[in-house]
Amino acid sequence: MKVRTIALSTFGSFLRNKVIILFCSLFACLVLLMMTPLLAFKAVTTASNAQQMQGVVLNEIVAVMSLMSGFGSLLAAWAAADSVASEMKSGTILAVMARPLRRWQFLAGKYLGVLMLMAVYVVIMVGATLLLAWLGGQRFHTSLWTLLVYPMVRYAIWAAISMFLVTLLHPMFAMGIVVALASLVSIFGSTFTKMPVWLRLPVHLALPLTSVLSEQRFLTITRASLKPFPWTSHATAVAYGLDYALVWFLLAIFVFQYRSLSRD
Amino acid sequence: MAAAAIEFSDVIKVYQRRFAGSQIAALSSVSFEVAQGEVCAFLGPNGAGKTTSMSILMGFIYADQGRIRVLGHPPGDVRAKARIGFLPENFAFYRYLNAEKLLRFHLSLSGRQPKAPDELISGLLSKVQLDGYKGLKIGKYSRGMVQRLGLAQALLADPDLLVLDEPTSGLDPAGRKEVRDLILALKAEGKTIFLSSHILSEVEQICDRVIIIDRGRLVRAGALQPMLAEGNRVEIIVDQLPLELEQAVKDRGASVQREPDRVRIAADTAQKRALAELLWAGGCDVISLMPMKSSLEEMFLKLVGGSAE
Repeated sequence: MKVRTIALSTFGSFLRNKVIILFCSLFACLVLLMMTPLLAFKAVTTASNAQQMQGVVLNEIVAVMSLMSGFGSLLAAWAAADSVASEMKSGTILAVMARPLRRWQFLAGKYLGVLMLMAVYVVIMVGATLLLAWLGGQRFHTSLWTLLVYPMVRYAIWAAISMFLVTLLHPMFAMGIVVALASLVSIFGSTFTKMPVWLRLPVHLALPLTSVLSEQRFLTITRASLKPFPWTSHATAVAYGLDYALVWFLLAIFVFQYRSLSRD
Repeated sequence: MAAAAIEFSDVIKVYQRRFAGSQIAALSSVSFEVAQGEVCAFLGPNGAGKTTSMSILMGFIYADQGRIRVLGHPPGDVRAKARIGFLPENFAFYRYLNAEKLLRFHLSLSGRQPKAPDELISGLLSKVQLDGYKGLKIGKYSRGMVQRLGLAQALLADPDLLVLDEPTSGLDPAGRKEVRDLILALKAEGKTIFLSSHILSEVEQICDRVIIIDRGRLVRAGALQPMLAEGNRVEIIVDQLPLELEQAVKDRGASVQREPDRVRIAADTAQKRALAELLWAGGCDVISLMPMKSSLEEMFLKLVGGSAE
């Protein structure tokens, strides 16, 4: 009940947050910008070049998906850091924590509030992807859950890492580390299988290999259909992501339990 | 005997400056108790350690050493917090909410489930004179209105212990009087109130006990009235004082202040008997002989000396 109250309050504050409103405006502008070439492609599609146009349209959609997905990771990290740091900076946390509320409940509420925001983001992102595909005259022959669950798990990881860092550091440092970590992930993620075996385990443990959690792993984008992976592959990938997020979130709770709540 | 509402025993808190490598002792072996049902003022100049003590008490920061109990529980324990109403210094709030929504949010966190929450919230807003501003966003409130709202949220869960950090800060004289009256009414209900304030005349009017700290050290703690009466001077009021007797009185180190219908003589307590006998023998009618009380402000300034602002 108390966790839910904090989560709803956090989500409500995000909806009024100027940075998020700006972010959503940019997002909407991007979708509008992408509509023009897609409509043009659709207009020039004929029976003879349909195959080629399908490839062009889907490649453009992949680019948009990747961009929005990357933005989403940053949004998740920023929202998680800001949700805790802004309360501490403004001092609102004092009146809240004077209530019979445990520290972990406060942090869990904040984390759930971030996940609620990201759930809305994912739904909009998937909606925008499907809209762009439809405008380009294409269809995704897949169930939606892959497109919804995988980004959500990635965002849960980035939010948990950011929340852990902000319990230790100034939010700007925390965000800096998250961006650096995301860059490392993008570098190592693509070369993971080429690494020596002895290096794979430490990298695997240390870095959130979100490429494992990419919905694109399970999609044949050029045909916009779900690859025939067994359900155990999905279960393993999602469990890896949730486990990784949980570990960081528990670390955040541990650090938050012992830190000062003063306005610094 | 009931357990103390607040127990501080040899509490030490040292702040570390990470990059400078230096240390600041915020509290040095501070010990005091606040009994249940009393109004206790926590006084000290700026930087004395009052807010640090209150933060430790509420579980916001941890003491390095010492034993602390709040309503019989360690600080930060939810069982204690369920019975505490807290008003932080410079109460901060979610600016996008209105008073009603903020109180509803805090009520939800308090775990209290009143039968008529709307009535409870309306009653509290009325108590702090904000009933006409229920729908106004808090971001548009004046400093005094925010302080009143802070008081309302502190009273929300019908607490046994109120911890108020500068409760009258930002209020106009009428608002300060209302808060004083509110505190006295809460005291009459048997609530324990632990407050810090720089307005010592108010403290003198409402508090049973005072605890004074300075530079992280306990300077004085005790019942207020006996503490104020501890001065070693007496005041003798007589109907008249002949001039020849005045000199004799002054020779005994006393000071004389003539008023239209009486004369006030202030002297050391050690001289009171000799002076009284001298005045009686000289034909003066002694109207009263009373120990002289100093004001809390005088006592405070004497105790904390140059560190007070």
